[in-house]
Amino acid sequence: MRVGAARAWLPALALGFSTGALAQVSQDPLAWLQRAAAASRTANYSGTYVHTSGERTQTLRITHVMTNGDEHERIETLDGPRQEIVRRNDEMYCYLPDAKTIRLDRRVTARFFPSIFRAPAEALAQNYTLKLGKVERVVGHDCQWIRLDPKDGLRFAQRLCAETGSGLLIRAKTLNDRGQVIEQFTFTDLKLGSQVARGDVKSAFQARLHDWKTDPQPRDETRGAVTGWAILNPPAGFRQISEMRRTLPGRTLPVSQIVLSDGLASMSVFVEAAGLAPRSEGASEDGNTSFYVKPAGDHVVTVLGEVPVAAAQQAARAVSRRP
Amino acid sequence: MTQEISSLVDGELESPDADRAIKACCASAEGARAWHEYHLIGEALRHGAVGGTDVTGRVMGALASEPTVLAPRPSRVMGVARVALAAAASVATVAVVGWIGFTGTTAPTTPVVATSAPAGPGLDAGVTRPVNHTVSAPSADVHDYVAAHRQTVTSEHYRPVAATVPARP
Repeated sequence: MRVGAARAWLPALALGFSTGALAQVSQDPLAWLQRAAAASRTANYSGTYVHTSGERTQTLRITHVMTNGDEHERIETLDGPRQEIVRRNDEMYCYLPDAKTIRLDRRVTARFFPSIFRAPAEALAQNYTLKLGKVERVVGHDCQWIRLDPKDGLRFAQRLCAETGSGLLIRAKTLNDRGQVIEQFTFTDLKLGSQVARGDVKSAFQARLHDWKTDPQPRDETRGAVTGWAILNPPAGFRQISEMRRTLPGRTLPVSQIVLSDGLASMSVFVEAAGLAPRSEGASEDGNTSFYVKPAGDHVVTVLGEVPVAAAQQAARAVSRRP
Repeated sequence: MTQEISSLVDGELESPDADRAIKACCASAEGARAWHEYHLIGEALRHGAVGGTDVTGRVMGALASEPTVLAPRPSRVMGVARVALAAAASVATVAVVGWIGFTGTTAPTTPVVATSAPAGPGLDAGVTRPVNHTVSAPSADVHDYVAAHRQTVTSEHYRPVAATVPARP
């Protein structure tokens, strides 16, 4: 059932909208979101983007190419030591600066901006009021702003800007309830379609590799184990997208983790045995990230996510033993 | 065997398995290299060096020079919570770093402690909204929660492996 719930979103994500339907979608924010989601997976694009959160900034280069139905992607960090992630469909590899390599098997696939959606646009429309903003020139491209305003206090407002030709997101902002930008992704240069050199998805490090580190054995923590815990009444609009038991460094006992998402924002609910130290309920937030700790008998619930603290609190208080 | 060594580095093995892995890692050159490399990779990932932003050092520096925000009385526990929040803000770094650290092969068994980066002022401007409780630290470094969270949610639809890979007998 858990797996079913998560997978129920997949077909819509995979199909999405084909590009080129601009005339039909131009006035419909929902259709623009669908185009943006589809474009992040199916379009050819290459560019540099800057991610700003709080006072921290990270610059990355991404190249995304479809070849013979296969999705190829390369992400490279441009700030600090060089690191590279290369993806072919669900297979991901990470190259580290000293050519030590981690191969990630098919168990986990990660997506980076501009792939920001975790649910079909229809699901987002249930939690956010969608409106089209103006068309602006952004990084040399015509760009349609899409405004997502939360229907309640349990999520942040989003401002997304989609390139008008392809639908690809060029910029994405998260705003707090005072309208301040607390997180932003923005391309600083972007090539689209035939401008993208296909060779750019090839790893710059691969040729230097002498040794693969592989990890072929699926681990229990990624198997989606039943944790024995449930979020009986999750915050409105959030649904469980995964559940697992995992080992965190320094712990002898596994920690249960349940992930909730409203399609854009998400939070993790961790449950673990309480240590010796006395604990009390409390919360904090920083930028777009909230943190909530709540004792629950001989266990402790910790919620962390890109949500207002009210949402984290609701989730923490909704944890109970699976009936 | 390298898988076992990896698990050992992650602290995931029960003691009989751990004993075996420890023996293996010391007994062969290959095992020793794997042991070293898994730790090296884990260190690189966990300390943020890979992402280029050393969060912990700056945060710890800021913590030393600033009062607590949430708790009515200063406490060492608060420090940990604030480290977590500041670290949480570096989404891109942790996203790139964190999920690899936990899903790839390694995560060192030692908790992340501040490294020697210079302290940056004003890091904690976003920590606000006091509540009527004190915050107590979870049982280990909260950075772990951040990394664990980022790991799963950077994927647009997290898929448990069991969905695509047959379970082992």
